[in-house]
Amino acid sequence: MRRSKSCPVCEMGIHWLDYKDEKTLSRFITDRGKILPSRLSGMCARHQRQMCIAIKRARHLALLPFIKVSA
Amino acid sequence: MSRRYEVVYIFDASREEAQVNEALDRHHKLLKTDATPEPVVNLSHWGVRTLAYPIRRKETGYYVVADLSTEPPQLPEFERSIKLDESIIRHLVVVNEGRVSPPPRERRDDDDDDDMRDDDE
Repeated sequence: MRRSKSCPVCEMGIHWLDYKDEKTLSRFITDRGKILPSRLSGMCARHQRQMCIAIKRARHLALLPFIKVSA
Repeated sequence: MSRRYEVVYIFDASREEAQVNEALDRHHKLLKTDATPEPVVNLSHWGVRTLAYPIRRKETGYYVVADLSTEPPQLPEFERSIKLDESIIRHLVVVNEGRVSPPPRERRDDDDDDDMRDDDE
């Protein structure tokens, strides 16, 4: 995956990433369930920090997996 | 001074909705204070959802999201009663930051480095 030029979350027009919105958050995890580094997603530092906390909360609530085991 | 909190409950999916409502009433009663006689601002039932991973060997859970207004000293007792409730398999309490944050700032054409401080422009 090539680094996009601008932050994907800014482009979506979302100012605050919500931990309950697992559809948006699932775009920023790898196929193993890891948090995607901003190096790959091109996300700005502010949104990367928000996303990190949001994903961890979503994992606690079983909205997102901690790990995805490939079949 | 009252604060706004957001609480997400995951109930055992085998419980009836009446049991869920009864449990919610019981816990929310602990949040009542003189300043906040009506602690529940908004209550939304998501219903039964599949969990991303099994919790206590259960594959599904009944999700409820509550927007609450209460005073901070009420919280420890509230959380204690949630933890003791066997029908709640997972919960999360967060301070509701309002989320009505200002719209994203105007993007500059060369805005691909957000780590740069704004004051060196």
